[in-house]
Formats: sequence, structure tokens, C-alpha cells
Amino acid sequence: MATRTQFENSNEIGVFSKLTNSYCLVTLGASENFYSAFEQELGDSIPMAHTTIAGTRIIGRMTAGNRRGLLVPTQTTDQELQHLRNTLPDEIRIQRVEERLSALGNVVCCNDYVALVHPDVDRETEEIISDVLGVEVFRTTISGNVLVGSYCSLSNQGALVHAQTSVQDQEELSSLLQVPVVAGTVNRGSAVVGAGMVVNDYVAVTGLDTTAPELSVIESIFRLHDAHPDSISKNLRDTLIETYS
Amino acid sequence: MRIVACHFCSSPCYPGHGIMFVRNDAKEFRFCRSKCHKNFKMKRNPRKLKWTKAFRKARGKELIVDSSLTFAKRRNVPVRYNRDLIQDTLKAMSKIEEIRSRRERQFYKLRMKNNDEVAFKRDLLLVKKNEHLLKVREVELRKQQEKEERKRLAEEEEEEEEDMDIESDQEEPEKVVVTLQNRSTQKKRNKKIAF
Repeated sequence: MATRTQFENSNEIGVFSKLTNSYCLVTLGASENFYSAFEQELGDSIPMAHTTIAGTRIIGRMTAGNRRGLLVPTQTTDQELQHLRNTLPDEIRIQRVEERLSALGNVVCCNDYVALVHPDVDRETEEIISDVLGVEVFRTTISGNVLVGSYCSLSNQGALVHAQTSVQDQEELSSLLQVPVVAGTVNRGSAVVGAGMVVNDYVAVTGLDTTAPELSVIESIFRLHDAHPDSISKNLRDTLIETYS
Repeated sequence: MRIVACHFCSSPCYPGHGIMFVRNDAKEFRFCRSKCHKNFKMKRNPRKLKWTKAFRKARGKELIVDSSLTFAKRRNVPVRYNRDLIQDTLKAMSKIEEIRSRRERQFYKLRMKNNDEVAFKRDLLLVKKNEHLLKVREVELRKQQEKEERKRLAEEEEEEEEDMDIESDQEEPEKVVVTLQNRSTQKKRNKKIAF
């Protein structure tokens, strides 16, 4: 299901939260409303953590992660790192990355199999991404934008990219990601889809301004109509078998 | 709060102290005080300044290669909190510190072991090289001795002469001689002061 919510009068959900198939990070806010919106959707299916990164609340833009791991930037304090480790399950690998482009959420866009990264990231960072997150890494841009994480919202089911991405670019991305790609907007016409919403294989959360047509595009591309956590694990297994057989 | 080592002198920068410089490539430089910051701005090489740890390490004055120094470092992969583990770690920390200080003392002793011998040899060499200076001193001493000798002789002669005068004048009171002598010494003293 796709739902709409707001963080302290801001529609940029992807900035203040991080959602993956095995955990969810939510920033510290003045009230619990934002957190409740997530909890209502996710229930007990996955662990949730309240955290800041490097003392800031823009955790969605600072971190990159998927089912297997979480990458945090160098500025992350030891206390935050320890808090994340204590909150998230042991099988999720957490690592601090020493990378100049420290807003990892903006420069990395990943699902459980593929990651698109900014063309300028370090070689070591690329290795860490492929190692910790267990993904294949591609250096790309999305319709000329280097900030792939901001302009692309990606799950194992599909991808939503910047509204002005050409059909050719979409096809290229689709062949890289091995999932259907569609160009679209969130939050009443905002092209920064990565920052405007969060998505995993069964839930999407978007800004409160998102219109019904936008929401229907999101639901159809990420196949959220009949998705729920249990079916996903089965689906995942099928995909895994497909991948490794 | 993390206590970082100063980029320049390697002393600890406590929270609220010093200044941080972040370069364009996102590398952070922490300085413990303005002295270090100023030296950095002057593009001085810490390896060439005697008061920095970098200098001491570069010159082999500090313990560098040692297993006890490898424990303290920034780690990027966290470990889940475990009370026992933390307790053990805390115990180990003090133990490691103890071992490290012991090794450092040992290292210092080893470094200072031959110092007396070396210093003695150096002094010997100094004497050997500058022997002529010692001779000058000898010459000076001899000259002074000769001078004193001459002075003494001159005084004796004077006395003898006066004695002869007294004898010729027939029983003049001795007082006069004393006063005369006094006057002459006074004159000399005045001269000295003038110089």
C-alpha cells in the first residue's frame, strides 16, 4: 500500500526516513506523528530505528542501504553508529564509509541486487557498496543528473525516475536494473522522486501533497496493490533462486 | 565525544578546544591550539619541528612499531553492545596502557644506555681538537706568575732603598715610612679606578 504523510510540514519523506525490506530508519522529530505513520504501515514486520546521522535529521539523504546492509557517512558519530548497531538486527551489516561525497542517499540508489552510483565516487567506496550491500554497482546519471539517489526511487519491483528522463534513458536504466522503469513525479509535480518518497517491496510512503494520479503510478510501478510482507519473502526466494540458478 | 589527536603535534584535542580545518577534499585537520594552526598555515612540516610527536617518531625517539599501539584507532564497523565485552575491554585498556608505558620506559632506557660513554668520548675529542686553547691558558698563567715575581722584586728593592735612607737620616720615626707607603699605595689604587 502507498500512503501519504508529512514530516513537520515537509513533504520530503525520503529526506527524513530510510525504508528497506529488512529495516526502517526514521529521524528524530518534535512529535511521534511521523514515526506513527510508519509504524501503522509496517507494524511489527521490520525493526524501526529513531536516529540522527552526524547530528542532522536528514538521515534519508545521508545513508544508503538495502536488505543486507547500511552505509553511513564519515561524519556519523560513534554514538550514532553504536545506536544503529544496537537497534538493527545482527545480520544487517553496518559500515561507515570514508567518502568525499558524504550524502550517500543522494549519490547511491539501490535495491537488493543493483546499485546506481554517482560517476565521481571513489573506487574504494564502490567496492564497499558492492561488498556490504551485496549488489552490482553501476556508475550512471539519470537524465544528466549525477545525483542518482535524489532522482530515482528504486525497489526490487520497479523504479520511478525523474519526470524528464527520455525514453531511451529509461530503457537503458531498465536494462541495468532489470526492473520496469517509469518516469514520474511525487508531491504534486516534484521531480526529486528519491527525496519525495520512500519505498520497499510492499510499502510506499509519499509526501502529503502527492496527487491521486501520482499515487496510482507509484502503486502500479512498485506493484503495491496486493503486496504484503509474507508474499514478499516468497517472491524474494523465487528471485534469488532465479538469480543464482 | 571523540578526542582526536592534533594534526600537527599529535596531542589530544578535547571538546571545545582548538580549531578544525576542512580541506576541499573533505579531509579534516584538527589543531589543539593556535600555535599548531599557525604553524600549519605557515606550511611548516611537523617532521622538522623538534617539539612535535611526528619529529620524535621520525627520528626514532619514540616507540613506533609495537602491538600495544595498534589497539586505539577509529573503527568503521560497529560491534553490538555487550556488557561483558565492554567490561573486558575496559579491563584490557588499563592493562594495555600499563604494558605500553613499560615498553616505552624500556625503549627509553635502551636509547639512553650508551649516553655516558658517548658523552665522555665527545668531551675527549673536544679537548683533543682544541688543545692549543689549553696551552694559551698555560702561557697566560706563566706570564701572570712572572709579572707577580717582578712586582715582588721591585717592592723588595724599594724597601731596601728606604731602609738605607733611614739609616742615613739617623733615627727618623718609623711612622713616616708607613705614611709614605700608604700614599704610594693610594695613588696606585686611584690609577686603577681611573682605568
